[in-house]
Amino acid sequence: MFSETTLPKKSCPLNQCADGQGKLPCCGQLAVPYVPFQPEDPEVYQRSEALAQGTLFPGLNLPFHLKPNGDPVPQTPLSELQALEFVLVELGLYLDSHKDDEEAFALFQQYAALEKEGRKKYEAQYGPLCRNDAAEDDKYTWVNGPWPWEQMGGK
Amino acid sequence: MFVYEKKLEYPIRVKNPNPRLANIIITQYGGPDGELGASLRYLSQRFAMPNDEAKGLLTDIGTEELSHLEMVGTLVYQLTRNLTDEQIKTAGFDTYFVDHTAGVYPTAASGYPWTAASIQSTGDAIADLTEDLAAEQKARLTYDNILRLSDDPDVNDVIRFLREREVVHFQRFGEVLELTKEKLNRKNVYFYNPSFDKGAMKA
Repeated sequence: MFSETTLPKKSCPLNQCADGQGKLPCCGQLAVPYVPFQPEDPEVYQRSEALAQGTLFPGLNLPFHLKPNGDPVPQTPLSELQALEFVLVELGLYLDSHKDDEEAFALFQQYAALEKEGRKKYEAQYGPLCRNDAAEDDKYTWVNGPWPWEQMGGK
Repeated sequence: MFVYEKKLEYPIRVKNPNPRLANIIITQYGGPDGELGASLRYLSQRFAMPNDEAKGLLTDIGTEELSHLEMVGTLVYQLTRNLTDEQIKTAGFDTYFVDHTAGVYPTAASGYPWTAASIQSTGDAIADLTEDLAAEQKARLTYDNILRLSDDPDVNDVIRFLREREVVHFQRFGEVLELTKEKLNRKNVYFYNPSFDKGAMKA
């Protein structure tokens, strides 16, 4: 049932793919969809640029032509934390399909440590981000505003 | 289980109320290709996935879509603050206002309330992941159309971010579809339902 006879393993050499291109089999099965795999060790943006662009990966940044992309996100304590966490979200999705990419996992570990530290600092000044973190305070501040949709000041 | 984080995924600060724009953007809250449908589609489909990569990715993208639902709700909230008596009569918004005032309600821009009829969970990994590729394209083009209709830079920054997330999600669904196919009968990936038939997946 699992005979390997028909599909050639051969695919184009990876070093022929620019950033923003990926690997496909030279002969693909008919009637099934293919999306090229993003090669390991892709180029990455700095974290604030990643948040502004909506992706960590320049090779996946495909904006809509009508409006120019990527005004800088205002630098605030909140946006700095959001940038750290965005890299973790983006690397997490990448690792879901590339779990053997050791460099990406090392970057994920580095950012997880930075995020932990950044979150602690943020919470000390602006209050708990998760309900259980409210136990760190002298009294229960979890319900205190502003709630995220009300933070028009962007702090 | 899910735990709430008291912050948005991306900063949102809309200076000017604009009920006409809110009435367009609400479609990504509760429309056919909106964020509510996306999160429920992925978080429901994951139960039937036969491989760990698909279970993980659907959990992670389904969770991120909940963050996007919150962001779209925040846009609608901020665009409908402190409306004047004149502004609530804005063509298009008046019909929303009469039912929901300035509350956030999951509906399409056309007025059709959110419905599970706009999503699927087929119990077949190949069919579901292929639907997910299409779902990301439909959300992407809806954001394209919002950019065509909006001139507010505070809003467009957020819409561009959400739109780019759809592009990245498309890529990841394609990769996990590939990882799923690799474990199936190479001559005919449709020989079995990989989510249902025992022995369909290679170890």
